[in-house]
Amino acid sequence: MGTPMTPQNLLDNPLTTEKCTVGCPIIDRCLGGGIPCNSITELVAESGSGKTQFCLQLTLSAQLPSSHGGLSASSLYLHTEFPFPMRRLHQLSHTFRPSNNHNPCDYIFVQSVHSVDQLLDIMPKIESFIKNSSNSRFPIRLIVIDSIAALFRSDFDNTMDDLKKRSFLFFKISGMLKAMAVGFGLAVLVTNQVVDLMEPNEGVNGLRVGNLGCLYSSGRPICPALGIAWANCVNSRLFLSRNEDFVIQKNQMVNGGVGGSGSEDFVCRRTRRSLHVVFAPHLADTSCEFEITREGIFGVER
Amino acid sequence: MEVSKLPISATQRGKLISAGYTSLSSICSASSSDISRGTQTAWDMLQEEQESLARITTSCADLDNILGGGIGCREVTEIGGVPGIGKTQLGIQLAINVQIPVEFGGLGGKAIYIDTEGSFMVERALQIAGACVEDMLEYTRFLRNDCQVKTQPKDILENIFYFRICSYTEQSAVINYLDKFVSEHKDVKVVIIDSIAFHFRHGFVDLALRTRVLSGIALKLMNLAKKFSLAVVLLNQVTTKYTEGSFQLCLALGFRKVKRMISPSPWEMLLGSQLRFPLEVKSSYLPKTVRSTLTNLAKFIIIFIT
Repeated sequence: MGTPMTPQNLLDNPLTTEKCTVGCPIIDRCLGGGIPCNSITELVAESGSGKTQFCLQLTLSAQLPSSHGGLSASSLYLHTEFPFPMRRLHQLSHTFRPSNNHNPCDYIFVQSVHSVDQLLDIMPKIESFIKNSSNSRFPIRLIVIDSIAALFRSDFDNTMDDLKKRSFLFFKISGMLKAMAVGFGLAVLVTNQVVDLMEPNEGVNGLRVGNLGCLYSSGRPICPALGIAWANCVNSRLFLSRNEDFVIQKNQMVNGGVGGSGSEDFVCRRTRRSLHVVFAPHLADTSCEFEITREGIFGVER
Repeated sequence: MEVSKLPISATQRGKLISAGYTSLSSICSASSSDISRGTQTAWDMLQEEQESLARITTSCADLDNILGGGIGCREVTEIGGVPGIGKTQLGIQLAINVQIPVEFGGLGGKAIYIDTEGSFMVERALQIAGACVEDMLEYTRFLRNDCQVKTQPKDILENIFYFRICSYTEQSAVINYLDKFVSEHKDVKVVIIDSIAFHFRHGFVDLALRTRVLSGIALKLMNLAKKFSLAVVLLNQVTTKYTEGSFQLCLALGFRKVKRMISPSPWEMLLGSQLRFPLEVKSSYLPKTVRSTLTNLAKFIIIFIT
């Protein structure tokens, strides 16, 4: 870190914050170039919405050279919930292969974290690990924590004391991550779970956070887990939603020629996924739809 | 007899010595008029107040209205709100609007931006600066006067002194350093701290110590605002407090509840002019009408043009 006593000249650095591409031009356009460096971006979604897919894809696209929107960097993946989805990463790595003599999986470092204390313990190690990597060909420029909520939702009771302790830890972890993000120019992506809303009004206790009045996924009103204290700890928040759509297709192809006798309609179930910017200092209220395929997450233009 | 040997408490001794009273005789010879130094006539105060009427526009007429014309110089203003409501946007806007030249009704000053959270985005600042320059161009065209708009968006960015802070020690250090920095850069007219709370919400186990450190910071900022007649804007986070069976929004760091600022719909910023700091100076020079609308709401939108 430079000397904090002298102000930075804003013109010394490039006039846009460096971003790490997500690996799809449509989503990148929605996010103003990708996930920004030097700050924490949070990805909120219910399970099965594509959070982990998004994270995996980001670790791969971070290895792309800057001419392709990447950071030409390795990444550190801290997973807390499931075993690391190695097979899916391998599958995705065929799409995002920067060059032939380069196995993308070699540049993704994985660490499992099971408790908040463990996370705090390994923070200094992470820092020295990143510092050591900074002279290599692919320095670490991306940290993914998937998911932060899993750490906090199990270990703490719903009592005043525990909640106080919990939000103290939020700020501590976020402070450490932000300091590292500034020090090493890292992009930090953190995923978060959602909770169902039981009350009819917007948000928890009628509190609306960000652009969307109420977040809906699978037709239910939801809100991000960990409350307003955690929301204060992140710089940007993105939300992935999924909604089942029933599309009725007239079944004319099959029976049309026969004379229309008993033409039955197909009912197709289709999942519409979309990404919304809940809040971000550099982004307007935007959203885009996306699909998850074998090859990865891709935006869909409508 | 030496003051240091007097049977009084250590803090009182310290205060006496730092005020220059080292011996008993020097205390005896002090007259009441010496002690009450810094008296001012009402006329002087009026002059000062008229000077302090310089205000930084927020670029939003409604907001300016409830603030009595904008963010006032010689004041500490605190702005709180839920995440994503636009505190940082307002902060960046003020850092740019303070630079509007005097010919255009601005202050033509410079800005210090102390970023503790990392939400200051250069591209967003450049966008707002571009919009500000465009506004000025339109203004000249409208008035058909000779004011030339010479500023470029990049010049505006050059006049923002940006500090990125990663811990509360750094934050205290920078605030201590501000006095020296501003005396070297007299044209600084606004100091924005985004946010005052973040680093103080972790790292302190002793809450009494935290309060003392914060009070010290608050005092320094108020002195700074008075001494250099500049505006200090503190952006603050909000938190929820459980009182009387329901959750209520209040500003972080637990100084005082800002109940009156909370309307039934919490989708709003909490704006308070010197709301809760120890040396509380109410905005008593605002005419009654303005003051009574302080509790009212101003609607604002944030526009992104790329």
